[in-house]
Amino acid sequence: MNLKRTVLFTTTRFILACLVATLAFVPLTSAQDTEFRGFIENATFTRAHGVGITKSRTTLQLELSKAWSSSGLFSEVSFNGTFRGSYDAVYDLNDDEFGKNSGRSVCFPAPGNPAFFGILATGNPTTPPFPPSTNPCYAGVFPPPTATGAIPLPGVPGGHIGVGNPNTGLGLVGEDVHNFENGGVVLAYPTRPCDIDNRGCIDGYMDDDEDELRFSEFNSRLDFIREFYLDATMAFDGGNELGFRIGRQQVVWGRTDLFRVLDVINPVDFSRHNIFDELEDIRIPMGIFNMEYRAGATAGFEDLNFQAIWKFEDFRPNNLGQGGEPYAIIGAGNFFRAMNNCWDNGCTVWNFPDTGLAVDFPSHALGIRQANKPGADDYGFRIEGVMNGVGFSFNVLRYTSQMPSLRGGIASDNPFTPPPEAQFHPYALAFDIDFPRLTMVGASADFYVESMKSAFRVEVAHTSGEEFPNTLEGRLFSESDVVRWVIGIDRPTFIPFLNKSRAYLLSLQVFGQHLLDHQLQRTNAQGVPTLSDVGMVDWKNNYIATFLFQGNYLNDRLTPQILTAYDFGANSGVVSPSVDWKISDNWRFIAALNLKFGDGARVFDDNRGANPFPPFTCAPPLAAAGSPLCGAPFSSLGLSGFEPIGRFRAGPFGMGINEDEFQLTLRYRF
Amino acid sequence: MKHAILKALIIGMLGLAQTVAAESFTEEDINRSFYPYNDWTPTADGYSPGVVIDQNNADQFQAILDEALFRFVKDGWVTIRTAPTTDFPLSEDYVAATRQHAGGVTLAENGTLNNFVAGRAFPQEPRADDPLAGQKLVWDYQYGFNSGDSETIYPFWWTFRNVKTAKVERQLKFEWHFINHNHRVTFDPRPAYENNPGEIYRGIYGIVKEPFDLANTQILIHRYQDDTKRDNAWLYVGFQRRVRRLAAGQITDAFLGSDLMIEDFEGYNGRVTDYTWEYAGTRNLLLPFYYHNDMDLADVPKNDPDGYKFIDVEGQGNCFPKVTYQLRKSFTLVGRPKDPNHPIGKRVINLDSQTMTMASLVTYDRKGDMWKWFPIGKAHSDHHLPVNLGKGVALDDFALVIDVQANHCTTLQFKSQVTDDVNQPKLFSVQNLRKAGR
Repeated sequence: MNLKRTVLFTTTRFILACLVATLAFVPLTSAQDTEFRGFIENATFTRAHGVGITKSRTTLQLELSKAWSSSGLFSEVSFNGTFRGSYDAVYDLNDDEFGKNSGRSVCFPAPGNPAFFGILATGNPTTPPFPPSTNPCYAGVFPPPTATGAIPLPGVPGGHIGVGNPNTGLGLVGEDVHNFENGGVVLAYPTRPCDIDNRGCIDGYMDDDEDELRFSEFNSRLDFIREFYLDATMAFDGGNELGFRIGRQQVVWGRTDLFRVLDVINPVDFSRHNIFDELEDIRIPMGIFNMEYRAGATAGFEDLNFQAIWKFEDFRPNNLGQGGEPYAIIGAGNFFRAMNNCWDNGCTVWNFPDTGLAVDFPSHALGIRQANKPGADDYGFRIEGVMNGVGFSFNVLRYTSQMPSLRGGIASDNPFTPPPEAQFHPYALAFDIDFPRLTMVGASADFYVESMKSAFRVEVAHTSGEEFPNTLEGRLFSESDVVRWVIGIDRPTFIPFLNKSRAYLLSLQVFGQHLLDHQLQRTNAQGVPTLSDVGMVDWKNNYIATFLFQGNYLNDRLTPQILTAYDFGANSGVVSPSVDWKISDNWRFIAALNLKFGDGARVFDDNRGANPFPPFTCAPPLAAAGSPLCGAPFSSLGLSGFEPIGRFRAGPFGMGINEDEFQLTLRYRF
Repeated sequence: MKHAILKALIIGMLGLAQTVAAESFTEEDINRSFYPYNDWTPTADGYSPGVVIDQNNADQFQAILDEALFRFVKDGWVTIRTAPTTDFPLSEDYVAATRQHAGGVTLAENGTLNNFVAGRAFPQEPRADDPLAGQKLVWDYQYGFNSGDSETIYPFWWTFRNVKTAKVERQLKFEWHFINHNHRVTFDPRPAYENNPGEIYRGIYGIVKEPFDLANTQILIHRYQDDTKRDNAWLYVGFQRRVRRLAAGQITDAFLGSDLMIEDFEGYNGRVTDYTWEYAGTRNLLLPFYYHNDMDLADVPKNDPDGYKFIDVEGQGNCFPKVTYQLRKSFTLVGRPKDPNHPIGKRVINLDSQTMTMASLVTYDRKGDMWKWFPIGKAHSDHHLPVNLGKGVALDDFALVIDVQANHCTTLQFKSQVTDDVNQPKLFSVQNLRKAGR
C-alpha cells in the first residue's frame, strides 16, 4: 500500500474524530476562559563553504485555548489549538543550491574504464574495441563516436540510460561531506523539488514539490493544524480523576533533552533543522486518544497515574528531509533519492564494481522501489508517579518505527543479462522502504542527590523488532533488539567571577545504544575472509554525550549558552554557542553558531564485494582462481567506502561536518 | 513485657533529655502574642501616626526604619506615609489551636519540632537570654498563618524594573496556589489530609500566564513534615513540554530572572534546618501594614471580575508601594545559611510580632554588603475582597525586592484570596503540571 493514497482517508478520519469529540463534550459545558496568543518569527541561517543561505523561514504561529466551566459528567472541558504556517524563502533566495535551479551536470573520473572495457569486450585489458571515457558523465552516451557515458551493463536496454534521466539537476551523494578520496561508490541524486524534477521522488514519502517545501505546513496532511484537541476531566470522590485528551496532539514521554529514548510517540520533522530545534517545534502532532486515570496520592505513592494512548491518525514517519533539501539528516534523503532514481530510470554508478571504474545500471536492478505504508495503529500504556520523592514511569508502546528500514529481497532485474526479469537475487541492492512494527518497554526516573546538589534524570528502553542494514544477510538487513538509555545530570552552579547573583546551569547527558543482536565480523556469510568488517553498520555499542553551559544576565533577558554534543562512535561532534536576547516581553533575538568537528565521513562495507548475480559479480581473484564460490550468491567480501552506508556510522554530526552555520532568529510575540 | 515497657520508658526519657522541655504558657502570653495592641500602642520619639518621613527627617526616625528603608528614605528614593497602628488579628481558629497544642511542643536537638499539631508553636515572648529564641521564632513563622491553610493569588504580577530609569523591562503574570496538608485550622479537613503518603507539609504551585515565552511554565514545591528532608521542586517547561526536577541549588537562584529566589518566597521558603537562627531583639518598626481598600490604588488589572485593583507603585524606579506604614512591634531574626556556598551571607528578618509574618527582610551577601531589601505589604483581610472577610489572615498584598547592588527591582502585585475552592491536593501533584501544560 502506498503512503500517499491514504492521506485523504487519514485527514477525513482526523477531522471526524475531532468533530465527534467536540460534539460529545462541549454541549455539556458553558464557555468560561479564552486565551489567544502567538508569534511571528524569521529564522535565517547561512552555511559556510560557499553554500550560503540554508533557511530564511518566516513563521506565524497562533495558539488558542478555550475552557468551559464544569457541567454534568465533566468537571473540566477545554479546547486547545495550535496553528502554524511558514514560508521558507531559501527556495527563492538560494534556488541554485536548494530550489528549482539547483544541481548540475555531473561527471566523475573513471581512469580504469579502458582496461575494464577491454577485459569485458575482448578479455584483454589492453585491447578495448574503442576507448571509453575516463571521465564519464551521468547518463552519457556510451557507443562511439561520442562515448561520454559509463560502460553499460548488458541489461541496459539500448546501451544507455539517458531517456528520462538526463544529466541535469544532479548532485553526488555525500559530496557535501567528503571528496570520495577513499575510492568508494559514487551515486548521483536529483536535487530539485519534485514538481520540477520527479526523478527519485518516493511516492508519499519523499515527494514534496516546491510549494510544499516553501510552505511546509500546507499539505494534504493539514499540518497547519498543528494541534487541535479537546481536554475533558471526570472528577471522582476522593480527588481521583479520569482525563481525556482527544485530537491532534503531542504526547511527551521521558525526561531528557535532545534524545528520544521514551519520547517516541510522535514522529519528528528533522528537515526543519536536523536534531537542533526544540522537540516541541519538530514533533509532528498526531491524532491521538489519550486517557489518564489520575489516582493522586494513594497506596504509598505521593502521586500515581495510569495513561493509555491510541494513535488513530494514520502512520507518519519521521521527516528526514528529501534529496536536495538544506537539512537532510545524515544525507539519507539524498541517498534514497539517488537509489529511487536508479530503480526507476537506471543510473550511472562510479567506482563500481571497483575504484576507478564506472558502469550504467538498467532500471529495476539497483535501488529503492517504493515506500510501503504500514497499516496498524499505535497504542501504549504508562504508569507514572512519585514515590519517596522519586519520580518514575513504566512505559510500554506497540508502534510502527518512524525510521525507515531498507529491506532487500524484492524481485529485481539481473543487470548482466539482457532480458528484463524479476526475481529475488540474494545480496542485491534492491530495496523497499518499510517501517517495521516495534515493541518498546521502558522506564524513567528523576531524583535529587543532595550530596552532589544535582538533579538526575534516567531513561531506559528495550525495543524489539528494529531493523538494521546487515551485509551478511541475503536481504541486507536483520533485526536486533536494542537497549537505549540516557542519564542526565543538572547542576546549577554559581561561578562568582562570571556572575555573582545568578547560577549557571551545567547539564550533562550521556546516551547509550546497544544492539543486542549485533553482527560484525571479518568473514562473509560463506566463511570467506573479508577485506574489512562486514555485517551491521550500526555500532554494537555507542555513546553520545551532550553538555549545556547556560548563564543568565540582565534578569534573564540575556542568556548566553554553549551546547556541545559528541558522538563517540562517529568521533564527531558539534559545538553551538548562542546568545538569546529578550529585548522586551514581545521581542526576542537569537544569534547562534553551529560548528561541527571531528572525523566527518566514516567508511563501511558497501556491498560491492558481494556476488548477487553469479557468476558476473564474482570477485576477480576468486573468478581467476576458478573458485566454486563464483557459481552461487555470496555476501560481501568487504570492499568499503564512505558511501552509501558509512553515513550510519558518521551520524548526524559526522555527516554534517561541513554544515557550519551562522544563525539569526527574530521573534515577535503577541 | 515489663522489660519492653521499661526499655521504652528509658528510651523515651533519653529522648526527652535530648530535647528542650515543653514550656508552659499563660493566657497573658496568648494575649501578648496575638493581641498586642489591645491595651498597648507602640511609640517612638517624635513619632505620631500620620507623620511623613522623607530624606529631610529620616535621621530622626532611623530607629523605626529598618536598615535598608532608612537608606532609601535618606537617599530620597521614597517618602513614607504613616498611619495609626491597628489590630491585624489572626483567625480565632489558629489562636484556639495554639491554646490547645502549644503546651506540648518541644524543640528537638536537631532543631526540629516535637509534638507540633497546629497553631503557634511558641506563643511566649522571646527572651534575649534564650539561645534558642531564634529557632523558636522561625518555627512560629514556618508554621504561621501567612496564607491561612489555603490561598490563591491570581492575578499576580511580577514586574522587573530598572531602579535608575524606572523602565519596565519585563512583566510576568502568574497564578499561585498554596496549601497546608497538615496543621490546618480553618478549612476542612482539619488538622490534616489523611491521605498523605509523602508526608508533605506544604504545597506551592504556580503557573506563568504571560509573557508568551514563559507561558505555561509551572512550578511545584513540596515541603515535608520532616524538616530535615530536602524540599522537592519541579518545573514544567512550556517549550519543552516536560516536567523537570529542580536541583535544590535552583531554589537559591534568581527565579525566572526576577530578583527573588525560590527560597525568598513568603519571606523565607526553605527548611528551617538549613540556617542557624538568632533572635536579635525586639523593635518597633514602620512596616507596610494597611487596609487595601483605603489605599490609592493602581488602575490595573483591567476588567477584573471583582473590580479589584492592585496596590500602586511610586518612588525611585517605581519600585515602592504606594501605601501607608504602621509602627508595629517586631522581632528581629537573623538567619545564616549553613551551606558555605550559599549566595547569601545572612538574612535580617523583621517578624511582625502579632502575625509572625516576615514583614521586611534585608539580605546581605557573603562579603557582608547589603544586597536586597524585601518588604511584604500586608493587607487586613476584612478590608480587602469580600471572600477574605473574617479569614483572619494578614494578606500578602504587595512586595518588592530591590537589588541595591544591581540597581534593579522586582515589584509583586497580588490579588490574594484565602479560599480552598481549587486548592485541593491534586492541584499540587506532579501530574497536574502535565495536565495543565500543553
